[in-house]
Order: sequence, then C-alpha cells, then structure tokens
Amino acid sequence: MAGTTPLLSLRGVTRTFGGLTAVDHIDLGLGQGELVSIIGPNGAGKTTLFNLVTGLDRPDAGEVRLGGQVITGFAPEKLASRGVARTFQLGRVFGNLSVMDNVLIGAHARLKAVKPPIPLIGPLLELGLALLRPNSVKAEEERLRQEVRAILARFGERLLPRIDQPAYSLSYANRRRVEIARALALRPRLLLLDEPTAGMNPTETAEMQALIAELKAEGLTILLIEHKLDMVMRLSDRVVVMDEGRKIAEGAGEAVRNDPKVIEAYLGHGLSPTESDEREPVA
Amino acid sequence: MSSWLDYTINGLIVGNVYALVAVGLALIFGVSRLINFAQGSIYLVGAYVGWVAVVQLHTPLVVTVILVATVAALVGLIIERFGLRPLQNSVRIAPLLATIGISFVLDQLVMLTFSPNPRALPSQLPDVRFQIGTGTIGPLDLLIAGVGIGSALLLFVFLRYTKLGWAVRATAQDRDAAMQMGVDVNRVNQTVFGIAAALGGVSGMLVGMYYNQIDTAMSLQATLKGVVAEVVGGAGNVPGAVVGSMLLGLVESYGVAAFGTSYRNLFAFLLLILVLTLRPNGLFASARQAPPEPLTGTFIAPSRPVRIPRWALAIAVGAFALLPLLPVSAYLLQTLINAWLLGMLALSLTLVAGTVGQVSLGHAALLAIGAYTSALLSLRLAVPVGMAIICGGLMSAALGTLLISPSFRLRGHYVSIATLAIGEIVSLVILNWESVTNGPIGLSGIPPLSLFGYELTSAESVYWFSFAVMVLLALLQGRLLGSHLGRSFRAIRDDDVAARAYGLSLNRYKALAFIFGGFAAGVSGGIAAHLYSYINHETFNTQQSILALTVVILGGLGNVAGAILGSVALVGLPEAFRIAAEYRILIYGIVLLLLVRFRPQGLLGTI
Amino acid sequence: MNGGTEVAAQWTGFSNERMEPRMSNLDRRTLVKGSLAAVLMGAATSRAAFADAAEPIMLGVSGPLTGPNAQYGAQWKQGFDLALDEIHAAGGINGRKLAYQFEDSQSDPRQSVAIAQKFVSDPKIVMELGDFSSPASMAASPIYQRGGLVQFGFTNSHPDFTKGGDFMWSTSVSQADEQPLLARYAVRHLGLKKLAVLHQNTDWGRTSRDYFVKAAKEDGAEVVVTEGYIADERDFRSTLVRVRDANPDGLVLISYYSDGALIARQARQVGLTQTICAASSVYSPKFLELGGDAVEGVHIGTRYFPEDPRPEVRKFITSFKAKYNVVEPDAFNAYSYDAMNVAAAVLRIGGTDRKAIRDAFLKVKDVPSVIFGSVTFDPATRRVRGAMNAELVVHKGQFAIWDGKPT
Repeated sequence: MAGTTPLLSLRGVTRTFGGLTAVDHIDLGLGQGELVSIIGPNGAGKTTLFNLVTGLDRPDAGEVRLGGQVITGFAPEKLASRGVARTFQLGRVFGNLSVMDNVLIGAHARLKAVKPPIPLIGPLLELGLALLRPNSVKAEEERLRQEVRAILARFGERLLPRIDQPAYSLSYANRRRVEIARALALRPRLLLLDEPTAGMNPTETAEMQALIAELKAEGLTILLIEHKLDMVMRLSDRVVVMDEGRKIAEGAGEAVRNDPKVIEAYLGHGLSPTESDEREPVA
Repeated sequence: MSSWLDYTINGLIVGNVYALVAVGLALIFGVSRLINFAQGSIYLVGAYVGWVAVVQLHTPLVVTVILVATVAALVGLIIERFGLRPLQNSVRIAPLLATIGISFVLDQLVMLTFSPNPRALPSQLPDVRFQIGTGTIGPLDLLIAGVGIGSALLLFVFLRYTKLGWAVRATAQDRDAAMQMGVDVNRVNQTVFGIAAALGGVSGMLVGMYYNQIDTAMSLQATLKGVVAEVVGGAGNVPGAVVGSMLLGLVESYGVAAFGTSYRNLFAFLLLILVLTLRPNGLFASARQAPPEPLTGTFIAPSRPVRIPRWALAIAVGAFALLPLLPVSAYLLQTLINAWLLGMLALSLTLVAGTVGQVSLGHAALLAIGAYTSALLSLRLAVPVGMAIICGGLMSAALGTLLISPSFRLRGHYVSIATLAIGEIVSLVILNWESVTNGPIGLSGIPPLSLFGYELTSAESVYWFSFAVMVLLALLQGRLLGSHLGRSFRAIRDDDVAARAYGLSLNRYKALAFIFGGFAAGVSGGIAAHLYSYINHETFNTQQSILALTVVILGGLGNVAGAILGSVALVGLPEAFRIAAEYRILIYGIVLLLLVRFRPQGLLGTI
Repeated sequence: MNGGTEVAAQWTGFSNERMEPRMSNLDRRTLVKGSLAAVLMGAATSRAAFADAAEPIMLGVSGPLTGPNAQYGAQWKQGFDLALDEIHAAGGINGRKLAYQFEDSQSDPRQSVAIAQKFVSDPKIVMELGDFSSPASMAASPIYQRGGLVQFGFTNSHPDFTKGGDFMWSTSVSQADEQPLLARYAVRHLGLKKLAVLHQNTDWGRTSRDYFVKAAKEDGAEVVVTEGYIADERDFRSTLVRVRDANPDGLVLISYYSDGALIARQARQVGLTQTICAASSVYSPKFLELGGDAVEGVHIGTRYFPEDPRPEVRKFITSFKAKYNVVEPDAFNAYSYDAMNVAAAVLRIGGTDRKAIRDAFLKVKDVPSVIFGSVTFDPATRRVRGAMNAELVVHKGQFAIWDGKPT
C-alpha cells in the first residue's frame, strides 16, 4: 500500500494443469496488518492460489515474496518457520490426535529446545532429546501447553472442555475452530484462511467473524477466501475477485460488489453476487 | 550380436506372461484404487480348475477356457461381494490387508484340496514350433500374446467408448459423485472384479500349460511380478500394464544377460524402485500432473485405545519375568522367546506403520541387516556378542533407513509396494554378495549369546535376556510416543499435507521413525542370529514381514502393549494348535480377514 | 534336561499329531477327540505309562507339512510309513512298535527351534528326525545338543550340519561324495569336455556346484559357465541363451525335479541340443511327468533305479508301489525310508535311553540301505560314506540304465 514493503507480494503467478490455466498471471500485494479477501465463483482458482503461496504447489511462472524475500516454490515446512499459517477448505485436523495435540502441532515450527538447528546430526539430537527430556525440553513443552490453553480460551467453552478428546469426535464447527487455533499456535505473520465458515450456521459464522475481526485488530495480516459476502464486506480492507484464474476486479468492498464484470462473472456462473445465507448478526 | 535379439525375444515372451496378471491388476486398480494381492491366488485357482478340466474331464480347449473363466469369475465375485464390499466405507488400509488375507485363504484351500505336489498341465494346442531368432516359440506363446494384448485392447475400448466403461471410470475417479449421477457403483465393481478374475483365472491356466507345471507356489510369484509390471506401467492404466510387463521382461532378460541368472529378480525390483522414485505415477503419466487429490479420510481407523493402567502393565511384566522360576517346560519358554523376538520386530513395525502410517511390507529386511551385521562382527572380528548385537541394531537403523528412504515420497499403498520390493532387494543382495555374506551357504557357527563373558545357553537365561531387551525397547518407545515426536509422527500419519503446512518435514520424521524402529528390529535380528547359530538369506523373509504386520494389526496400530500382546498371541496360538497343522495358514488368513472386517483398530485400539 | 516334565506335559496341553502308519482322516478325527478327552483327564495320568511295553517308541519328526516345502514333508511321510510297515512286520523294535510324531516346522528356524525344545522336554521322544532345510535344522542343533537328543538329519545337506555337536548325525549324501560320481558320468563316461552347470542358488545347490566343478576339472573337463537360479524360478530362457553363448557341449543340472523339468523343456525350446546330465535330486516320476518329451535322453546319476537288482531296492520299490497305488518312489521317499530303517537299527542296539542311542549310531553296521547299499557311520564326520551309484538315462519316457551309447 503506502510505500512500505508489502508483507506478501505476488507477481505474475501462473499455474496450468494440462490445457487448463488454473491461475493466470496474478498480481497481488498484501500490506502488514491488512485483511484482503479473495472471492469468486467456484473453480476460479482461489484455493490453487493459496496452494501456490503456501508451497503445496509450485507456480509455473511468477514470483512470490514474503517480507521482501523470495519464497517462490519453497516447501510448506519452510514457510511455516517463516510465520505463514493456513487453514484448509475441507478442514484438515489430525483426527486421531487430541485437541491439545492438534494445536501443539501448530507450534511445532517454534520448538527450539528439542530441535537444535544443527545440520546433519540435528535430527538425531532431536531423537535423543525427546528420549532424554532434559529440563529445558520439559519447560518448553509446558510453556507451549499453557499457550495452547490460552488460545483455546478464545473460543469460550467450545474447545477447552474437550481439550483431551480426539479431534474426530468433535462437531464439524469445532473441528474448524481447532484448525484456527492450530494456526494461531504458530504465531503467524501471515494467516491464510480458506473458507473458514463453510458449512457453518449463522451463529457459528458470526462467532468466527468476530474472532477474525479480533485477530485483525491485533495486527495480524490475513488473506481470506470466503463466499459469504456480508462477512467479506465487513472484514476486508480490500477485496480481490477471481474468475477462471484471472483477477477481474480489486478494490474496496462496495466498489467491487457493484462492478459489472463481477456481476457478469457470478451471473454467468449462475450465482447472484448478493447471495448471502445469513441474516444480519446481532451485535 | 544375435544373442541380443534372443534376449529381447525372451524378454518379450516373459513379459507376455507377466502381462496377463498385470492387466487384471490394472483393471481392478482402475476401478477401486486397490492393489489386489489376491490376483495371484485367482490365477492359481484358474490353473487348477484347468487341470481338473483337462486331465480329469478331458474337455476340449474352448470348453476348458470357458469353464476356467466362469469359475474364476465366480471366485472374483465372491471376493468382491463378501471380502471387499463390506469394507468400502472402512479405512483405506483395510482392503489392502483383506486381499492379503484372501490370498492366504485361497492358496491354502487349493493346497488342501489338491496337495502341494506340482502337477503337469498338458497344453491342448498342437505341438508345432516356429523358429524365431535362434529359438522357437509355439502356439501357446501366440495365444498368450493374443489374450494379453487382446484383453488390454478390448478393455481399453470398453473403458473409453462404452457406457458401462464410463461408469467404471467415473466410479474410479469419484465414487460418491458417480453414485449421485445414478451409477450403480456396486454393480460396476462386481462387473470389473468378475472380468478381472476371469482374466486372471484363464491366465493361470495358460501359464500352467505354457510351463507344463502348476503348483501352489505359483501364486505369490505371479502377484509380485504382476504388481511390479502394473506399477511400472502406471497403476490403473491397462495398456500401460502391458507395456510395463514387456519392459519388466526385457529388464530381467538383459539383467540376466549382463550379470547372470541370480541377479534376475534383483533387476525386477530395482526397476520398480526406480520407477517409484522417479515417476511414481508410472511411466506413462506426465511428469507434473496435478498433485493427486489429497487423500481425504484417515488411513487408520479412528478408535479409542484401550487404556491399560500402569499397575496392570507392571503386574504383567512381573508375571512374565518370574515365569521361568516356575516349573514350566523349556518348550513354553522357547515359544515365548520367539514371541519376544517377534515382539521387538512388531514394536518396530507398529511405530513405523501404526504411528507414522508407513505400512511397510518389507520389515524383515531390517532383521536381516541386524542379524548379518552382528554375526559377521562376532565371527570375523571377534567382537563380543553384546556389542555386536548393538552394532547390528545401529547398522539396521542407519542402512535400513537409507534403503527405505526412496519410499518416503510415496503415499498409501505405494509405500507398501515399495517396501515390499526393498525387502526383496535386501534378501537378494544378501544372496549375491558372497564375499561378505557367504551367499546361499550362509553363516554358520555364530557364537551363542553371551553377556560380559557369560554364555547364555539355557532357555531361562535366553528368555530373560530377550524379555529384558524387549521391555527396554518398549519403554523407550513409550517415552518416544509421549514426547513431541509422538504427536508429530501421528500428525504425519493422519494428514501429511496439514503436517507439512505446520513445519513437519516428512522426510525427517519418517527417517527418525525408521531409525528408532530399525534399531529395535536390528537388535531382534542380532539376537536371533546368535540364538540360531546359523543364518542365511532365507532366514528372514517376506513371510516374517507379513506375520509382523498381522501382529501389529491384531494388537492395534501404534499400540505398544498391543504389539507385544499380538506377538504372544500369534506365536502362542499356532503352537497350541499344532494339532491343526495343515490348517494353520488357512486359519491365519481367516483371522486376518475377520480382524480387518470387524475390528480394524485391533484388540487394544490404534493410538 | 528339564525337571519339570510333569508340568511340561500339562503345558503342552493339546495333544499332538501322533502318526501311526496308514492313518485315515477318520482315525485322525477320532484321535483328536480322543486326545482332547485325554487332556481333560490328563493331569492325573501317571507318567510312568511310557515305560509300558504296549506303548510305541516315539520318534520326533520336525519338517514341513505346510508352507513352500510341504510337498517334501508329504514324501517323507510316505517313506516313513513304508519303512514302519516292514519294521512292524519283522517284529518291531524288540517287540515294541515304533511311531513318529510329525510337527510342522514349515522349514522355518523359529518353529524348528520351538519344536526342538518341545521334543527335548518330552521324555517319550527318544530321537529326532529332520529338518528339511539347513537354516531350520542348524538353528535347532544347539538345543538338541544341549538337551542331549539325537538330531538325525537325512535331507539337509549343509556340510557343517554335523559340526553342531556329537548328537548330530546324518545320512544325507555328502556332496563331496556325490558330485565326483556325477562328474565321472558326465566327463569320463559321456565324454563331455565343456560343461555348463545350472544349479539352485541354495546352500545345497552351491555346495554341490563347487564340488562338481572341482571334480570335473580333476577329470579334465572345463566348466565354461555356471548359473545359479532361485528355486521358484520358472523362466530359464535367457539363462539358457547365456549358457548357449558359452558354447558348452553338455549341460549339468543340479536341480530338483520341478526346475529340472522346466530347464529341460526350455532348453529344447531355445534350440539347445546338447546332452543334459542331471544330479540325483531330479530322480522322480514327477520329472518324467512334468518334463514330457523334453526329458527324453536326459542322463541322471542316481543312487538306485527302477530295475536295480539289489534286494533292498527291490523290496522298497515293490512295497512302495503296492502301498501307494502303483506310483513310483522318488529320491526323497528313499531318503526317508532309509532314515527310518537306520533309526530302527539304532534303536535295536541303543534301546530308549537318549545317550545310549547316540552311542549306538557308531555301533550300527551295515544296515541295508537303498541309497548307500549298507550304512555304517564314519565316527569322524558322523556321516555315511560311499553312496551307491547308478547311471541312468530317460528312455521312452522311463528311467533306464544307461547302456553306454551316446544319445
């Protein structure tokens, strides 16, 4: 935005599969503390774009930078240690792990005592330290557990009472909350949320929306894919519209909403841009 | 130079034979994403039904073929309906294991009905030979080629251009969507299984005629080579299976030409590993396809493990520790010694397959590496036995992990296939690397177990030693599972995509799991070597790997106590049931099937 | 030995497959039910029963009844049962019957070791026979040696087997004896000068090959190529091209009957016309059945043959065909038949005490044997020297004595 290096910048990012161009020369900038939403009909390439940014897939062309440094094609593991956290469209929690363990995994990249960054023998040291468990390791583990409890507390009574239950036994909405909690445990610089309220009812959606607003207020930089346009309008600093792999509009919420190209794209796909499956949330 | 022509022709001829199995496998994989380890057994059934038809009923060739195809198709339908369909909503590991169990059951039924002696299966075709190169081929070669290529072509056309064929492909891509589109998914599966089974049965008969020999050992060989050919060509790709088979035949043939017959299978499995490493989707997939849709749903059955309280475990350990003090027979102690050694292997496998989700079918290779290392150190370098065994463990950890690492990038059943191949490769290298391992002659005169200079020769002392080592390894593993590594391993198993997104490097953690597991298995192998005083390449074989896997499933994937309980059960029960000696393997196969169907999480639950 | 034999009997609980000659399925089922009933009453039964003269003397047999080598276990039983018929017809062992208890080891060392403990702990078992493969046999040797029970091997051929201790005895023909006979046949009698040797890549196959090559060289022939193959192999065409390229004038097969038959067939299909000379391990009616026309003219060096005039062989073949429905016996039947006869001879001298049985092996002299003519053990090696020799050829689909004419 205004002169400072954007936290995230995409230039000409492209990805084709066979004959299909899923992502077509996308340029995007995200400043520190901004919340940008990406909207568009199904199949527009939004999740693919997320995959390209988070390393799950490699662009065929173009460049991605994080905090000014090139991260194009970096593996997801590496990006995690650089503070990039994401959630998934289908909600991917670790089913057989407890809520606590799920969220602890979020903090994995931050482990120091048990993961000395020494090349070559580092992994063996990690094994040894895990078995021996010296005080430094125990202390770190305890600290992280406290953090997890604090994060879970943000969700009120939803998750804390279930902290030791396996994730597969949770309701769908709770599983998605665990996903967010896990992302927060990473202490991200950049948070990518892929349809965090998909399949949620209005109350649950409202809670999620409030949480995201809170996170934004705390200064977190967020990239959001969503279909619920009211939510998008309320939360976003900017909205980007994709259709068939291309960016067809970008700007403030209202402007984008009334952009004839955008309406065309949605209508052409049989959807109305004012579709909103929630009533006005109370407060 | 004409020899190369002959080698090429021979390679194609053998490839021809492999193609028959591979096409059936490809077809089944294409529709249900399942590697049918029972295909070789259907092949076997076909061969024996053919024998009955030709030798006892004297039917003409056409009738024989129809009879064999019909019976085999029926068997296929039964397998699909009762063995696999109940598992369709179960976890992905279940059908893989079910087909292994089915193969045991079928093979044993054939053996019990017909006896294990090989039999001749006369060809019913005229005995003319055609000159080709410097050798000859006969009408059977042509018939086999016709059936192989013909069925591949027919299937290709069927899948591409007919309505039912489209239904088949739709089901393969996305079962739920196909159902919603009105496809009768069950009927599709049945049809395909029936066709693939009929093809498999006829293949078995043709190959039996080709070699004029059928016996119950044909089944495993056929499956192994068929799987290699199919994976090389691209799983699910029917024409690819034919090409993959030809390629396999050629590679084997040239390998023999260049290095000698004993290297034949080594080349086959190396080809497989090469393809899996460089082109996991097979040779005919484009290099940068869309990443396969992240396999949704867990590989492991969600379950609440049975939590055994600490005091109960302590009592059990104490009871077993004190057992030799009671007036029990050395036979019982020996049986339990076998259980403790298997238990160490099971601990290792439950960590790797259960906790990390890498279902390894070649784990016996780790035993072999540990055993040979320990034996050689103590035989050639006079290293004290205790130290040698530890070195065996370390070597197994290091070398084993290194050898298995090509499988780290693979997922799902490909891991199992790759590890199976690696296990076979280790065994073949041991067989051929004579300067070090003595080849088939093996190592004899291995010094007995001894600790700090004291020889452990009585059943009691060996029992205590192996029990102590096992308990120690179990405690360490428990500690490991309670650390951050435990949750990291399990995260990778449950969802490796999400795991990576949160900083877990898959290679690193898979390697760590194999390092720890390799150590446990290597120690077990080392102890066995000193116990048996003689080992060769056959001592630690694929059967051991499959036994260990059954133990792990029985106990509960990832469950340490379960691994030990499972070992005691699967070693103890066959000893108790020596009375039913001929039925043991059959019962074993049935147990596996029942487990997979009704309690895939095992007795004590997965962790 | 373990003092807990009383409890041992209880722990071994379920009764075992006690084999008497000619047991039908019905008998076996009855025996199972009977055994279970016995177990229920079992604990109180006095163990002094084994001294009762009406009870048979028990041999323990460790061998493959299931698994990849199951066919050989079945052949063992045929040979044992035939021998037992004759032994009983001749009055048994000093008036007592002889019987064996066959435990399925699947040729797996883990199981053979457990079976060894079982036999050692069971006072009824006076001697053990088996196992089939070398790993299974040799893994169990330490237990037999320490437990003081004779381990009598008769098909396991690893040269180091009897080095396991003085309780290890073997009538399996040493390859050091057999291969020179084969070499003589191939080189001196058939006049082959350049040999290609195909052998199973097992300890037996390799040892045999090494001895053969040595003997052939001593006889003045050249071994131009040797190819070791895995026992389950079915396709030999490429191997045979390699063989062909080495330009041999004869092929030597160190194989069992199944692989031998396959090689012979494929050799002809690949265009090889050289003379084939095979080791005794192919000698079996199955070789003829599986090989068909392709084995016509194959030479085999065996220990006996169908028309062998020796009385022990005539008796063996005639009784075998009578008992088993006109089927001809093969090498494995012969080994087990001989083994059982040797065991009986040992028991007649040594009684039922295990140590005395061990010592009796040396006292046994000239036991009639199909394989050796007569059996006397060499005290230094605990093996038998001097196997019989017959040079056969397949003629019109039958085994016949070679008449000395080139084929």
